[in-house]
Amino acid sequence: MSEPLLKLDGLCAGYLGQDVVHDVSLSVAEGEAVAVIGSNGAGKTTMLRAVCGLMPPSRGSVYFDGTDIAGDKAHRVSRSGVVYVPAERHLFPQMSVKENLILGAYPKRPPSSQLDQVFDLFPRLKERESQHAGTMSGGEQQMLAVGRALMAAPRVLMLDEPTTGLSPLLASEAYNALAELRNAGLTILVAEQQVPLALGLADRGYVLDHGRIGLTGTADDLRNDPGVRKAYLGV
Amino acid sequence: MTAVIMDGIVLGLQFGILGVGLTLVYGLGGVLNLAHGQMAVAGAMVISRLTDGGMGTFLAVAIGIVAVGLLGMVIDLTLMKAVYGEEGEGRTLLGLLLMLGVGFIIDGVLEWRYPIEALTLRVAGDPIDILGVSMRRGSLVASAIILLVGALLVAFFRLTTFGRATRSVIQDENGARLVGVNPSVVRTSIFALSGILGGIVAVTRAMTTPVGSTDGIELTIFALIVAVVGGLGSVSGAFLAGILLGIVSTVSAFYIGSYITTIILLVVCAVTIVIRPSGLLGVRS
Amino acid sequence: MTAVDPAADPEPAADHRMAAAASVKNSILGDFLPITIVAGLLGLIPLKFMDSRSMMTVLISGMLFAAYGIAFNIIFGSTGQLFLCVGALAGIGGFSSAIMADRLSVPWVLSILLAGIIASLVGGLLSWIAVTRSLDTIFIGIVTLAFSLSFENFVLGKGDLTGGEDGLRVAASKGSIMREQVKPYYVFLALVVVYLIFYRLLQRSHIGWAFKALKDDEVAAELAGVDVTKYRVYAGLIGSGMLGIAGAMFAHQGRGFIGSTTYAFGAVDVRVLVMLAFGGIGSLLGPILGAIVFTVLDELLDSQAQLREVFYGIVTVFLFLAFRRGAIPSLSSLLKKKPSSRSR
Repeated sequence: MSEPLLKLDGLCAGYLGQDVVHDVSLSVAEGEAVAVIGSNGAGKTTMLRAVCGLMPPSRGSVYFDGTDIAGDKAHRVSRSGVVYVPAERHLFPQMSVKENLILGAYPKRPPSSQLDQVFDLFPRLKERESQHAGTMSGGEQQMLAVGRALMAAPRVLMLDEPTTGLSPLLASEAYNALAELRNAGLTILVAEQQVPLALGLADRGYVLDHGRIGLTGTADDLRNDPGVRKAYLGV
Repeated sequence: MTAVIMDGIVLGLQFGILGVGLTLVYGLGGVLNLAHGQMAVAGAMVISRLTDGGMGTFLAVAIGIVAVGLLGMVIDLTLMKAVYGEEGEGRTLLGLLLMLGVGFIIDGVLEWRYPIEALTLRVAGDPIDILGVSMRRGSLVASAIILLVGALLVAFFRLTTFGRATRSVIQDENGARLVGVNPSVVRTSIFALSGILGGIVAVTRAMTTPVGSTDGIELTIFALIVAVVGGLGSVSGAFLAGILLGIVSTVSAFYIGSYITTIILLVVCAVTIVIRPSGLLGVRS
Repeated sequence: MTAVDPAADPEPAADHRMAAAASVKNSILGDFLPITIVAGLLGLIPLKFMDSRSMMTVLISGMLFAAYGIAFNIIFGSTGQLFLCVGALAGIGGFSSAIMADRLSVPWVLSILLAGIIASLVGGLLSWIAVTRSLDTIFIGIVTLAFSLSFENFVLGKGDLTGGEDGLRVAASKGSIMREQVKPYYVFLALVVVYLIFYRLLQRSHIGWAFKALKDDEVAAELAGVDVTKYRVYAGLIGSGMLGIAGAMFAHQGRGFIGSTTYAFGAVDVRVLVMLAFGGIGSLLGPILGAIVFTVLDELLDSQAQLREVFYGIVTVFLFLAFRRGAIPSLSSLLKKKPSSRSR
């Protein structure tokens, strides 16, 4: 098996000296979609924030393409190709959809063909091209957040709860779009508490419980695991 | 009355660009630069010293403006590093207090070294009639420069990649980091830009009124009022508020009296905060 | 005003009061001993300087600033309201007392008290506006700064009332002890001691408890039934009243002269901020320590008046930089604390 594209090794992270994520190790191979599932408060967001550089990990390593990027600033991580879509989206509310997308490619000025690719995936964004991001609905904002991340031509797309604030219908639409990206070969790491959706997308999954990896396996293994079924699938 | 309003617009444009310099720095890093006016006056003193020493006006002006820009950059890279390490209200408070101190240092040094120095830049030529009002050349040239600078700023923020990056940090700093913008670089550059704008204020003001070594605090206060009324962080708001307040200022100075004028502007500022803290065009609550 | 008594059940409340009373008795020495010692030491200072009018003026100004510092500590240190109008509130006290005494023939001692009430109402109003509009620190700072500068401009502009640039000579208190060389120092020392004791008693009262609660965690305090609005405004009223009285007393001492810069932002607020940054914001004796140190430094710099501003600038920068791990976090933790990491 070849070297994974993204590898977390013994990652610890937390707030005010109090670790929330303990000794997490996981890996994502190129072209793979991996889900980290867990309930609210399990430490999923903290883990992703520590990877993308929004907060420094307290211990451990994050290897991206063989280089340790743990502790790098967020803008460096993003430019190197690991692009994070947070649950709060962090769009630029007083900029148009188009400007948000253009900034996604920062520091480059993207060719219009790249914008068109995003518009092909989310035709809705094309319709709203000149609308301010702050005035859009939750579903549209989610599309824009993913679209903006794609503008950076990411090698790994990390998403935190992409279904936050979305109706079940919109949530599954969002996952359909992610499936399209996966099929096109994009490497995806998604943290999600809506386990059926996440396991529907992912090749493999990890269960994060109280900040530790409890269980890991293929999506099918996890779906059929009695513990997972009981805790997260309600059966 | 028309003449008073025209004077108000000339003054208002100066207010506007003064406010822009303050509002940008605040919007980016939460630092209320209470030394903004003093920095501008420091630039005026540089120009004054250089021209007294025989240097050509244009070169002296260029050096003076660049000097203020460098001063801004140095402040950002030294003192402000500590400020940006803090978060939330602690950051705001520390930034405000440090810049208050810097303002005192600059003001004190200027008063000590050049107690009676003032910069006046004369623009030769007869007054020109506009709408039946005879306007001095200096006022017109100053206003034209500010309008040009304003247009350049708009173009910079709307059309350039770095301008967009600047707005992105103002609107959502974490979002900016996630798309690859380095907020520190943006902040340092904009602090320098703010200094340059301060230098331009000093130069354009010197075309209409002498800029004395002790005028810094007054300029800072005007900048603060304009930035607050326009909405802290909003560039277009600062320009709009500047022009409105410029007109208010000359009209009330003409009809009521000058000490009341400053009070009126201060009250407008306080009332804005109480009634609409986001100002005219600011959107952040 | 719907502050719910945390102990609605009468019996534990009585218990708790008795316990509190006992602990007050037990710690009375521990609490008031430092104040007594400091008062004693400060009382000895004039023995060395009583012959020098100028030295006594400096010392009186030191006591005045100590009083300002204690009052500011109640407003900012206890409830985090950044009042950049210490000088203006003191000046409202000073000018209104002088005007009442000289123009309206109010007995000057009474005029000081009335001036304190006026300043208190003004400060309370500022506080009330700030709290009801839920302004954050920077906006309170800007509003109060605007208020300060308006006051300064008013003093300069309304010359028929305030003397304008020439200042105002106060006549009413002529011939009183306030006009002597040494005694006013003891009057101001007494004021400082009264303020210190008052500050201590305040800390022990239910108001002090509420201050502490909303300082530790405003949201929790609110949930526990502490009426945050009410206590913020209390702090504004109390602190401003103290500033007004101190400022008013100053108008009557020495040669009975108040000028346009006596209460100016640059002359008062900056010094108070620096003093407190040095002495420790929120501490009992910090303002005294700061006032002493900066009175001495001020005196040393007297011959270099222009350099004083530079000096204050450098000290401000240095103190707030050096203490940003000490003073500022403790300082910002008493301001509204918003959880910066609600996500997990």
